[in-house]
Amino acid sequence: MRYAVELYNVKKKFGKIAALKGITLKVHEGEVFGLIGPNGAGKTTTLRIIATLVKHDEGYVNVLGYELPKDKEKVRKFISYLPEEASLYHRLTGWENLLYFAMIYAENKDQAHKLAELGAKIAGLSSDALKRRASEYSKGMARRIAVARTLMSRSKLVILDEPTSGLDVFSAVRIREMIKNFAKSLKTTIIISSHNMLEVQYLCDRIALIHEGRIVATDTPENLVKYTNSANLEEAFIKLVGDYHE
Amino acid sequence: MVRDIRTLLVISLLPLIIMPLMGLSSLYLQQYQQGVVVIIDEDRSWALLGNHNVSSRDLMTKIVDALRASNFIVRVAMNIGDLKNEYYDLKVVILKGFVKNATSFTKVAHVKIIRTVGSVKAYDADRIVQNELAAYSKYISQIKTLYLADKSGLKVSTESVLTPIKVIIGMISPEGVAASPTEEFRSYLARIVAFSLIFVTTPSIAYITDSIIGEKERKTFEAVLATPIPRQALLLGKVLSTSLVGLIAGISDAIGLILFFVLPSLAYGINVLAYLTADLVIIHIVGVYISILASLALVLPAMIRAGSYRSSQAVSLAIISIASIIFFICLYVDIPNLLPLIKYPFYILPYTHVVVMIRNIVLGAPIKALIHLSVALAESAALLMFSVKMFSDERIIYLKT
Repeated sequence: MRYAVELYNVKKKFGKIAALKGITLKVHEGEVFGLIGPNGAGKTTTLRIIATLVKHDEGYVNVLGYELPKDKEKVRKFISYLPEEASLYHRLTGWENLLYFAMIYAENKDQAHKLAELGAKIAGLSSDALKRRASEYSKGMARRIAVARTLMSRSKLVILDEPTSGLDVFSAVRIREMIKNFAKSLKTTIIISSHNMLEVQYLCDRIALIHEGRIVATDTPENLVKYTNSANLEEAFIKLVGDYHE
Repeated sequence: MVRDIRTLLVISLLPLIIMPLMGLSSLYLQQYQQGVVVIIDEDRSWALLGNHNVSSRDLMTKIVDALRASNFIVRVAMNIGDLKNEYYDLKVVILKGFVKNATSFTKVAHVKIIRTVGSVKAYDADRIVQNELAAYSKYISQIKTLYLADKSGLKVSTESVLTPIKVIIGMISPEGVAASPTEEFRSYLARIVAFSLIFVTTPSIAYITDSIIGEKERKTFEAVLATPIPRQALLLGKVLSTSLVGLIAGISDAIGLILFFVLPSLAYGINVLAYLTADLVIIHIVGVYISILASLALVLPAMIRAGSYRSSQAVSLAIISIASIIFFICLYVDIPNLLPLIKYPFYILPYTHVVVMIRNIVLGAPIKALIHLSVALAESAALLMFSVKMFSDERIIYLKT
């Protein structure tokens, strides 16, 4: 089995604060992998390291066969990343926001237009809505464009940091549908972070529970519930975290 | 940023309206700001020297007429006590014994002038009074010379006695070529043009701050950082787009400043525009762009390494201040003529080379201008490359805004 992402004993400190205390995880090619944990657990730092933006202090990181941070320029060609609370360019229309990112990944104008059209399809917004400035969008609409621009690049690895955070139920469901449909059709590796257990259970093939900078457990949502003798993932998480709580 | 047409219009049109308006309004209001001058003739006497009359009343009339012609309110009094508690910008007192001393061959006559502190009009009035006094002084010198000549039986030209030395002024450029008064005036104009660069640094630094820190604040930067865009292209792209917007703002500011000087000059009948030749305009645009590049090149490493928005702002302010100092001192100081110990520290900064480049073009030394242009460009390019090397995604992501 080939791994899209491999992290071994990865540590990261910010000043005196240890954000990651030895993360080890493996993400299979083509799977939707969830990273779940409470606020401050180290999800965003882990994703930023995989997205080549933050350099780890210790340990080994391999993304798509390239070692980080040495090969970060090569890795960037094959990944797309949606940061938590990522915003759109408010003075551009929804379509222009898609086209802007499409032009980064495309080799020519035609290809850029095709990618942006795919993005528009993924976002599922009407052509009238796409012509409006992003400043006029609701939070849900803006997030649909942001997720679509991340998925449309057809990258080998898509990293989504809390894609539904702060959204209402309807918008969150819509975004989850977008991700699920995209994952099915393109078989891309997706890493998604969340603290919503229902969301990861719905979207992910496997999940890793992260707490206080360490991976507590990694398995399918079903196995985690089963082996911890829990009613649901939330209960499983609490049982597992209890053992690791410092 | 470029999409915001309204912002672009404001940054380019505002200086074009505001600065000439400042020049014209100050000129207009100055004319309608009335000054008050008090004249007291304590002497009230006259005397004949040969056939010529010297009179304190004559002098007073000349001063009053000249002041009134320049819209001053003039109050004439015989004694200081007549004008007690009355406001004035300038007081002129023709002291007792004026005529007696003025017509004497052993003493000098006195006129006392008192200026009110802080009054702009006092200086104008003082200049007019001094002119009239100089003219009357010359008149008395002439009649005294004629009187003495008559007594001695010599044939005398008053000019030969009073102004025996005439100065013939010639001009030469620092390159040793004969220069005309027009060229001299152009060199003054070049100082003003170089000074106008003072307005270029602030907008360009503000735009690059918005382009990097602003994008971080608007939460659009992190996603871009994870794309395959090379850091060199990302930073230099920002520098290029920012410098073009800065160029529009800089040129507008500079044209505004030139209009600030030109419009009042036209009101006085001097056509300053005739001296603004194509080479001066072109070199100014080059100067504006290099100053912008230099500002961006200086501020970028600091912004990239700064741990917070505030420290980045502090550095920006320091760079704006340094640039302002250099552009301001170039109004009064020729940096290439300074002592080496003072001159070379100035040469570390690209701004100095921009100023010296403009000066050299105007003074007809294009090779020297080219050298300074190259140094300014090389310094800016080196700093930009340093910024690319220094760029850290992590620092930008965790920058405190």
